[in-house]
Amino acid sequence: MIRRVTLQQQQPPAFFVRGPSPFARLVFFSALSIVLMAVDSRLHYLNEVRQGFATLLYPLEVVASAPVRIYRHVNSYFVDQKSLAQENQRLTTFAMNQALDLQRLTNTEAENAHLRLLFEARQKLKPSTQLAEILHTGRDPFVHKVEVNIGTQQGVAPGQAVVDGFGVIGQVTRAYPFTSEVTLITDKSLVIPVQIARNGLRAIAFGHGRDSTLYVPYLPTSVDIKEGDKLMTSGIDNTYPEGLTVALVTRIERDPNSPFAHIICTPAAGTDRRRQVLIITGSLITPPSPISKKVSHAPRQ
Amino acid sequence: MRPGNNLEIYGSLLLGLLLYLLPWAGVGLTFRPDFVLLVLLYWLIRAPYACNVGVAWMMGIVIDLADGSLFGQHALAYIVAAFLALMYQRRVTLFNRLQQAGFVFALLIIAQIVLLIVKLFGGDQPAGWTYFLPSLTGIMLWQLVIYSKIKVSGDENRG
Repeated sequence: MIRRVTLQQQQPPAFFVRGPSPFARLVFFSALSIVLMAVDSRLHYLNEVRQGFATLLYPLEVVASAPVRIYRHVNSYFVDQKSLAQENQRLTTFAMNQALDLQRLTNTEAENAHLRLLFEARQKLKPSTQLAEILHTGRDPFVHKVEVNIGTQQGVAPGQAVVDGFGVIGQVTRAYPFTSEVTLITDKSLVIPVQIARNGLRAIAFGHGRDSTLYVPYLPTSVDIKEGDKLMTSGIDNTYPEGLTVALVTRIERDPNSPFAHIICTPAAGTDRRRQVLIITGSLITPPSPISKKVSHAPRQ
Repeated sequence: MRPGNNLEIYGSLLLGLLLYLLPWAGVGLTFRPDFVLLVLLYWLIRAPYACNVGVAWMMGIVIDLADGSLFGQHALAYIVAAFLALMYQRRVTLFNRLQQAGFVFALLIIAQIVLLIVKLFGGDQPAGWTYFLPSLTGIMLWQLVIYSKIKVSGDENRG
């Protein structure tokens, strides 16, 4: 009953203290949002503003990720005998598979020689790398991005390539003081110049934006490409070092009505497999381009 | 005293933001309800004089910052939902449980649709039906409001 009385007491003032009508506010704030969206997507003025506010949000993110960190930490202490036995068995199987692979070594020697050449070429560049840990994957299911735990304070800058033990993961697109945002090669906004490892054919791979795949457009239907072919970075973009695995061709559709083959690839590196990635922070030493320094943009569909 | 002083409102919004910022991934991400919008809707209906379209817009901008997504898209989605919540605010306090749940569910879906339209204009691929799962989990979370003592009408006798 007391509550009912307070309800009646509180109702009348609510009629007077409302300020501008909700509709006026809606119109004002929608206009503001639309202007912000246009400015952000077309003019790129807001990058500094975003960096500043993202730094303010950083402590909140640290607090938010604390429970998961603590859980992982505690969990690693309480490993039971069963899971250890399971892991032991898994490792034994793994070792046997590796022994089998060793026997196949002679068959892959030709490939190995080729890889060694690529490796030497890569060694010449000696890119300096930095180990980063993935803080979280993107919160937006539409965007293929991850956030890592090092930023401009550690020498990370936008445009640097990000790799793991299996191949290229993506590129740093935004660097904040303590974190940086890595766009994965499967994001639809990322384009990567590649070379087919088997025959050296150059191509450009685009992120598909869905299903964690890449596609290679603008190759004629008669192109010499097979399922299972390995795509490697060609290194002609001065961003990615040469000879890193990018993806494996998984599906080719040759439609006679279309002048181009429809080639779908899956990335070799996986952000879901490892939490650690390498950011190539050193600049790649390449001779200056004789024609012009201007970077031409890859054509989009 | 009116329900919902600034400390309560902004404290709960901060809590919602923290829940949103938890490192969700994989299946969790597809099921994650929009905590911030739920808290916003609660205060919009409960205390419309203290929490209005402006607060919704501000929280949307914060979410956009945290997401690293296009500036203003969550803000736009939130203010549309906030406006509709305010339009029907006096009636919602009189709704029964089912009506209230339906109303809030509609608002959650509308916010997601606004977001989807913005994303499609931005050139994103259309998503599958799982895109709307957060609204479902959101309305399940809203049952907490309906069946507990923190009712939107501030009246414990009514549902």
